[in-house]
Amino acid sequence: MKLGKEEIQKIVLGVLLLFGLVYSYFDLLLGPLMAREELTEKSVRGLGPLMVSEKAQIETTKTMEEKAPAVAMTVLQVNAMIPEGSPVAWFPTRMADFFKKQGIDRVTSRLNSETTDKQFAGYRKLTWGIDFPKIEFVPFASAIAALENEEPLIEITSIQIDASREDVEMQHALVTVNNLVRQ
Amino acid sequence: MALHLNLYHEIQKTKALKRRDPLKISLYGLGAIAIAFAVFYFVQLLHMHSILDELNTVKAQQDKILPLAKAAKKREDELAIKQKATDALVKRIEGRFYWAPILERVMQVVPREVQITRLSGDVPSDGLSHCVISLDGLSAGSDPRKVAEDLRTALAETFTPKFKNVTSTFKTLEDGAEMVMLDGKQVPTATFAISVQLSFGAESAATPAPRKRK
Repeated sequence: MKLGKEEIQKIVLGVLLLFGLVYSYFDLLLGPLMAREELTEKSVRGLGPLMVSEKAQIETTKTMEEKAPAVAMTVLQVNAMIPEGSPVAWFPTRMADFFKKQGIDRVTSRLNSETTDKQFAGYRKLTWGIDFPKIEFVPFASAIAALENEEPLIEITSIQIDASREDVEMQHALVTVNNLVRQ
Repeated sequence: MALHLNLYHEIQKTKALKRRDPLKISLYGLGAIAIAFAVFYFVQLLHMHSILDELNTVKAQQDKILPLAKAAKKREDELAIKQKATDALVKRIEGRFYWAPILERVMQVVPREVQITRLSGDVPSDGLSHCVISLDGLSAGSDPRKVAEDLRTALAETFTPKFKNVTSTFKTLEDGAEMVMLDGKQVPTATFAISVQLSFGAESAATPAPRKRK
């Protein structure tokens, strides 16, 4: 079949229309729709991990919240070990009474320095020098053991024991301790 | 056979030409393609709506969770500060250096031929968990230097199982000018100064306080 000029023109017109339709469909309709769809899917996918992390955050806090009473209890226990009032008033007496109970009568405590430590918020660290003018080594060592066991907030940083010149059986001791007190 | 004449052939040809009109066929084809495209677009539109619904649901959930998560984060920070402070307190209490075991071991290793004139110990506050102990004294015997040397090695040996990096060294060791009476005999003396250094960790534990006799 031989196509006439008019028919060829019509076919060309038809092909042009087809191209126009395909171009318009993809560029004006389907393209933007797909782009929007992709963007929306990306948003949904992006929100997923965010929500998971937020839920995990809530769970972590919940777990920490459950442990909070134990933490508060430790602080309460520590606070209960610290008497009320100025440490200068109670610490020397407390040490004198403690060592008297251990059989050491003459004990003098002096405050050397006071520092604050960021680690221990709400507390300050006092350094004391405890002087024992006349002690026997073995009872003194026992008293030190008792002090370390019964006073958890006291930390002995240095000890010096000198043989006494007047009495060979006796020694002189100087103990430096750190103590935590409330601010 | 009778001759059959088609007198309508022109009309039929025209009709056939109309049927085969390329423009008409193209339009039909275009119409079919347009319908297919429209159906596909509609399906995509539905899909898009479902995704939008999902996004809205997730956003609504997130809007509900976000303030809770923010509050939780704030609370976690508060609790973490408290926890850290408590941990520091517990670490300080449990990580203390205990002196009673030191005094006990020194007492055990000092022989009767030695008199300790000064014992000093210090835990420097440099955070390195180490301790320096100095012992000054007088040793007596037929070979007082050997007695002092035995004490130095005994000190190192007694601390090694319990502490790390134990070193025991003489700062001074000199012959003494005076003689002393030991076991009914006059024996020479030597003066010494021993320095013991050791590191400690979590394994260092307090010696229980002795029970009191009633």
